[in-house]
Amino acid sequence: MVLFSKRLNSMVAAVFGLALCAHGAQAPQHVNINQLSTTVEDVVVPLPNELFGALNKLGAVNWKEHVRSDEEPNFTERPRIALLLGTVIADGFIAVQAEDAPAVKDIGQRVLALAKGIGVGNSITPHAKAIIDAADKRNWANVRQELDRTQNSVQQAMNEVHDEKLSQLVSLGGWLRGTEVLTSVVKQHFSNDGAELLHQPDLLTYFQTRLQAMSEFNLPIVHQIQDALVEVKPLINIGNARISAESVKKLNEITTRLGNDIIKKD
Amino acid sequence: MNPFAKVLLCTTSLLAAIVVLPSAIFAWVDPTTVYARAFALLAAEPYVKQGFHLREDYWAGELASGERKAVRQQLFKGNEYWFWLGTEVDGAKESVHIYDSHGELAEQPDSWAKGHFAAAHIIPKTTGSYFIIVSVEKSPAARTHWALAYGFR
Repeated sequence: MVLFSKRLNSMVAAVFGLALCAHGAQAPQHVNINQLSTTVEDVVVPLPNELFGALNKLGAVNWKEHVRSDEEPNFTERPRIALLLGTVIADGFIAVQAEDAPAVKDIGQRVLALAKGIGVGNSITPHAKAIIDAADKRNWANVRQELDRTQNSVQQAMNEVHDEKLSQLVSLGGWLRGTEVLTSVVKQHFSNDGAELLHQPDLLTYFQTRLQAMSEFNLPIVHQIQDALVEVKPLINIGNARISAESVKKLNEITTRLGNDIIKKD
Repeated sequence: MNPFAKVLLCTTSLLAAIVVLPSAIFAWVDPTTVYARAFALLAAEPYVKQGFHLREDYWAGELASGERKAVRQQLFKGNEYWFWLGTEVDGAKESVHIYDSHGELAEQPDSWAKGHFAAAHIIPKTTGSYFIIVSVEKSPAARTHWALAYGFR
């Protein structure tokens, strides 16, 4: 093992050396994006902590006031559980930002319960345990990594059984909760840089398109989100213009309303 | 590279990725791109040690020489990102570059490509959509596997 470890370190060093001696990659200064249209993958949905990391760099955020520890009702509809699961994972990232170990441990348990409710508990059990262990040790980097692994494992497990739509709802739940917190923070201390983080028109279009293809999920919450995204679109899809304080306030009202709808029974 | 050396390198690389990033590799294994992913993770490793958070999710596929693929990505001003591309095919020349929503090259000058690896670095000037363009410029294989991972801090 020691020998292997030494070899591994050598390989990593070799790769790093490659980066130092590799040729700077020559690339055209401009490409025609329209010509790429047939080969473009769907937009990649960022993790909540990508957003929170950028937000944190704009100034101190009182993350503790955004930590949520309400007990959710027990849903039986899988789309509702998927939305809630994405929301709770985002709550985990918020609790990590707040360095709130009890909340993180509670969220680890809730994630596991929700994953079981949706039939992917087996793939989440080790991650939930790792989240709780890392929170006990206040190893926040590990908690973040495990939350990322949790979301990835949930979505891979869903994709493997062709539940891609539920997987997309997990992403949507996380995105809505992240946007709710972002707008809440920016509303309190408005700055153009903070508001610019809401400039996510392709993500919005992605979620709208996905929701339109979920006609089998005939649930009030799905319709509420669809209607709300129609309200959101003109507020953030504004080209090169700046997102105003008034728009941030409206976005916060909309996402807070949706957040409440996701966690409560109809 | 002779076949034995190639198998040895691939196996060692895969083991390296397994040891360093266990959950990342076991999260989901696509047998057709597993080696390409191992190389992408190997390229990421030095940067992870510098504090980049390696995202678990990744993108993979196969391309013929001269083909390219774009991944649309939401990036946030304030963060710093690296994208790492890997392939297991000897003699393949691959690249990864980052363009903004207007099609303008947006990456830092320290982006690089060498052997089985390529990497692109960006500190976004604005929040919004970017295109990560992966291409296989030449390859001895009819189809070349690729895998793209990314990290941020």
